[in-house]
Amino acid sequence: MEPVLSLKKVGFRYDSLWAIRDLDLGVKPGELLAVLGPNGSGKSTLLKVVDGILTPQEGEVLLKDRPVSRYTRSDLAKEVAMVAQETHFYFSFSALEVVLMGRFPRLGRFQFESERDMEAASRALKATHCLHLAERPIHELSGGEKQRVLLARALAQEPTVILLDEPTSFLDLRYKKEIFDLISSLTHERGLSVMVVSHDIDLASQYSDQMVMLKDGRVYSTGAPDKVITASNIQAVYECPVIVDKNPVLGSPRVSLV
Amino acid sequence: MRVIRISLVLFLFLILTILLSLLFGTADVTIAQLWGILTGDTDVKEMTKIIVFNIRFPRIIAAGLAGFSLSLGGLVFQAILRNPLADPFILGVSSGGAFGAVLGIMFGFSFNLGIPLLSFAGAMLTIYLVSVMGQRKMGMESSTILLAGVIINAFFTAIIMFFISTAVDDRLHTMLFWLYGDLSQSAYVQFAIMAPIVVAAFIILYSLSRHLNLITAGEETARQLGVDTKKTKMTCFLVVSLVIGLVVSFSGLIGFVGLIIPHLGRMVLGSDHRLLIPVSALGGAVFLIAADTVARTIISPSELPVGVITAFIGAPFFIYLLKTRGSKWNRS
Repeated sequence: MEPVLSLKKVGFRYDSLWAIRDLDLGVKPGELLAVLGPNGSGKSTLLKVVDGILTPQEGEVLLKDRPVSRYTRSDLAKEVAMVAQETHFYFSFSALEVVLMGRFPRLGRFQFESERDMEAASRALKATHCLHLAERPIHELSGGEKQRVLLARALAQEPTVILLDEPTSFLDLRYKKEIFDLISSLTHERGLSVMVVSHDIDLASQYSDQMVMLKDGRVYSTGAPDKVITASNIQAVYECPVIVDKNPVLGSPRVSLV
Repeated sequence: MRVIRISLVLFLFLILTILLSLLFGTADVTIAQLWGILTGDTDVKEMTKIIVFNIRFPRIIAAGLAGFSLSLGGLVFQAILRNPLADPFILGVSSGGAFGAVLGIMFGFSFNLGIPLLSFAGAMLTIYLVSVMGQRKMGMESSTILLAGVIINAFFTAIIMFFISTAVDDRLHTMLFWLYGDLSQSAYVQFAIMAPIVVAAFIILYSLSRHLNLITAGEETARQLGVDTKKTKMTCFLVVSLVIGLVVSFSGLIGFVGLIIPHLGRMVLGSDHRLLIPVSALGGAVFLIAADTVARTIISPSELPVGVITAFIGAPFFIYLLKTRGSKWNRS
């Protein structure tokens, strides 16, 4: 299958410093791509470039064979959704209102949400198991519930690509698993293309189909988890000694610090 | 639809407030007399007609337009600065406008053109200064914005005081009264300027209501969902400065309306600006008409500037918000 999203020799620099360079990668429909790398390796920049928030100085990002730079902001928002690490709400919105924000690119200036928009929102809430939270104020929800609602907002955009920037970094073990289970099933059942930036190597290797490991803004290693997650790769990229064995149940690579 | 239903109720409430306000004042006007005037009955005394049409009505309209604009301005500032305590008065935008207006008075400009224009320029300058001073690396910082507003407010107030102290003529009383929110000088010609601008501002801001919803949920998110945040913010700053500048030059400094009304709206209706914009605007009009009715009757036959009444209600309300909401809305 052809990738929905592909990056060709992409480079982006802040002033004179290249944050990412020579990046080539692709995500196919129904594929979960995990992006790994130490702090400052260009992971967040990569997501912003894919999302069109930052425009690369080199190369191009193709979405459905069309450069992202040629999409209008709202056309892009119909194709690409982003879930941030942490989202603050300064005013009190209900979970449903937050999810309906995902319909913004599909509504006209003076338009109210139609039946179709309401259906899309409740489908999205159902898919992330938070239909029961619809009327609750977003700031009263727990961290895990909030991330699920934000994932529902991304789904309500009805995108082909979802980008997640460390979606579980503030969550405890149970919610981490819950969110990743959800992301994984949505990816595979709906044929979405998902890119997730994560610091949790074990979780990422349990759930992802493909991985890319960045070092200093360049691809250091890419491929299936068991090919990327090796002791030598991790030592080279993260600069700390580890041993890698297998998860006794799932067989995915498991990293332990030594 | 909900927004139309609620707006209609508020609109009827506004009409009722206007009618009630026409009845109150130093001179007595009975319901029968008012009915007579409105239905064109010729039996009513000429004096009563003058009181109703030439004195009370213009003042009520001025209060309505000012309340409408100030409340709308507060709501929009709170959204784009993501700060529940923002208000044209607290941020110094009103005193920036007043500074422009005082400058206009010193130069002897017309109250119908030169002064409003300078007032608009002053308001625009202030909001520019506040947003530059409040700018941090990570976007706007809530408390920095407020502090910037307080400082600019103090600065402009000092300049205005300087002008007032050096202007030793009989206009002193007028100027001081005007500063604290005077609606007694209202004239129909001002409405001819103000009404179309206020209506246009309302339509523009309403067309941005969903943009504002997204901006209150974070600028990055808003951009990601297709909002041109820079353009939206610039438009809002311009439009609000324009109406605030007009209000200040016609009615002086009237504080806290932009704080009280939008928050009451939020408490009852939530945070959707498609509802909050019409509700705040109409509610602001009702509130200021009521406040001005109190201002001109409470120590009858003397009158108070309406700004005194709004500050009496608004300042405790501000403290209440600071204690209960200030912190809550900054974290979620």
